[in-house]
Amino acid sequence: MIGGAAGGKREGFFYREPAKRVFAVELKESRIHFKEGQDEKSPTYILLPTGERCNRVFLAGTLTEKRRQGEQNMFYRARVVDPTGTFFVMAGSYQPEAMQQIARLEPPTFVAVVGKPNVYQAPDGAALISIRCESITQVDKDIRDQWVLDTGKATLDRIDQSGQTPDGERAKREYNIDPALFRKVVYEALSQMKI
Amino acid sequence: MDFSETAERISQKITSRGHQADKNGIETKLKRLVNEFGVPAAEAERTVLNELAREFSITGFQGSGGPGDQKILNQVTNGEWVTVEGKVVALTSAPSPSIAQAGILADNSGAMRFVVWSRANAPALESGKWYRFESAVVDQYKGMLSLKVHSGTTVTEVPHEAALKPAITPIHDLSPGVACIRGKVVQEWEATHDRILQSGLIADETGGIRFVLWKEEGRERLSPGGVYTIFYGTVDEFNGKLSLTLNSATTVPEEGDIQVNTGSSSFEGAFVHLAPGSGLIRRCPVNGCNRVLSRQNYCPVHEIQSQYQYDLRIKGWLDNGTETREILVQRGETERLVGMSLDQARELAENNPLGMDEVFMRFREALLGRYLACQGRVIENRMLVSGCEILHYQPEQLADLLNRAGGSL
Repeated sequence: MIGGAAGGKREGFFYREPAKRVFAVELKESRIHFKEGQDEKSPTYILLPTGERCNRVFLAGTLTEKRRQGEQNMFYRARVVDPTGTFFVMAGSYQPEAMQQIARLEPPTFVAVVGKPNVYQAPDGAALISIRCESITQVDKDIRDQWVLDTGKATLDRIDQSGQTPDGERAKREYNIDPALFRKVVYEALSQMKI
Repeated sequence: MDFSETAERISQKITSRGHQADKNGIETKLKRLVNEFGVPAAEAERTVLNELAREFSITGFQGSGGPGDQKILNQVTNGEWVTVEGKVVALTSAPSPSIAQAGILADNSGAMRFVVWSRANAPALESGKWYRFESAVVDQYKGMLSLKVHSGTTVTEVPHEAALKPAITPIHDLSPGVACIRGKVVQEWEATHDRILQSGLIADETGGIRFVLWKEEGRERLSPGGVYTIFYGTVDEFNGKLSLTLNSATTVPEEGDIQVNTGSSSFEGAFVHLAPGSGLIRRCPVNGCNRVLSRQNYCPVHEIQSQYQYDLRIKGWLDNGTETREILVQRGETERLVGMSLDQARELAENNPLGMDEVFMRFREALLGRYLACQGRVIENRMLVSGCEILHYQPEQLADLLNRAGGSL
């Protein structure tokens, strides 16, 4: 079963996981991750606190910093900022195209990122979320602004539906965060936009 | 229940082979099977006939049941023994040595496929003639009814004067089986298989259906944009999609044009993935092939081609956060969206060390992350885009969202 509001999966057709629209502050709170099915290639998800599973994200924000790391296994770390906080984006040798894309970018600039969120355990026990980048491209402010509206709407939709889905129930149990708090996050993010 | 008629039929079959048949004995056996053992009448007839056939060592009756009621073709159902009369409107090649003939049988009510088993010893049927099939069996394969002519079936040619008036089915109402349609060839697709002569989309006022014409001697392509009446095409179902095979059909070009409904839909979302095969591509120049060549200019059918034709296209995915949609954009819309013409793309590829990859990367930079609204027809989960717009920030949405978010603070 594909959870949340995802479309129906039809036999015989390739199913592409939709990219969720999530503000940085909500993604940062996510720490539950799980796998659907036993197969090695079964998709993995993180559970968003607003009550939807998420295998992929799409975001637009400001690239503020990028750092090259590693010698043998070179990879890039980047910080992308939205009105609520910071996304940690990385691209390694398994994402050669995304790595080349980051290499050409000069912060600060607006970027659009498609990638897969992963949960890591920090040495102090805290959960860290980073996004393994599939693609990162330079965009203009118009697209960043569209994304803020898009993400505001998607977050409100998730909050409104969280009481009626199994993933919503699970999020309530696991996170113990009132989804209404994210309503405030949305309001504050939108308040920064020009009318 | 009266068994005398059935008993009479059985005894006639036995006597026609030069043996003595005890009609009363047959009737008693039938009665016993039906009344005492609850055997269906048709099965009882088959049992008794087989028993006698074994007794007299008569061959050729095996599996034969009652002749069944005479029916018209749109009344028959799966599993039935029937007697029908119909015109052989098409003969198709037999796919297996155990099949003597296959084709399509029609009457004024409809049409269906038929198969004559090699072991049936039936006379060779001729296209265009009417026949009576006594005791044939109807079965079903992939949702499609078909008439099986076996060794117990009696086939006789019948004279028939009146012309057949085939009924035209609206494309939207098609179901697996044999049908006549009138439609316009609205799209022609790249052949996906060596044996396909032509495939595409044919549509009428009610909808569209994929069609396929397999290579066969004497077969000619339909012309794109042409209107045709297609008599006795075969409709089958695969992966929940209907498809019309034209090899059994007679296609007649028509005058004039018709309004078509090709089931256009629209989708808005962010462009999240540019798939390989986008950008500047090279197509096979062999007449009617048009397949995309690999990097080494290799066509899967026509091998190495050095005289290729360039084209531009976008293959990729739109994503609205809950649903994804694969899109395919042809040259015209591609040039407009990316802001690069085919000539510019060629020039870029020729003057750049990365060649066609440079065009791909420019496409990626121009498209990834953009919010797009596309319209087009969806076929097998992929939208063939006929129109596409880049979306922009709409401040008027902000007020609504602020109200929604602030409503319960």
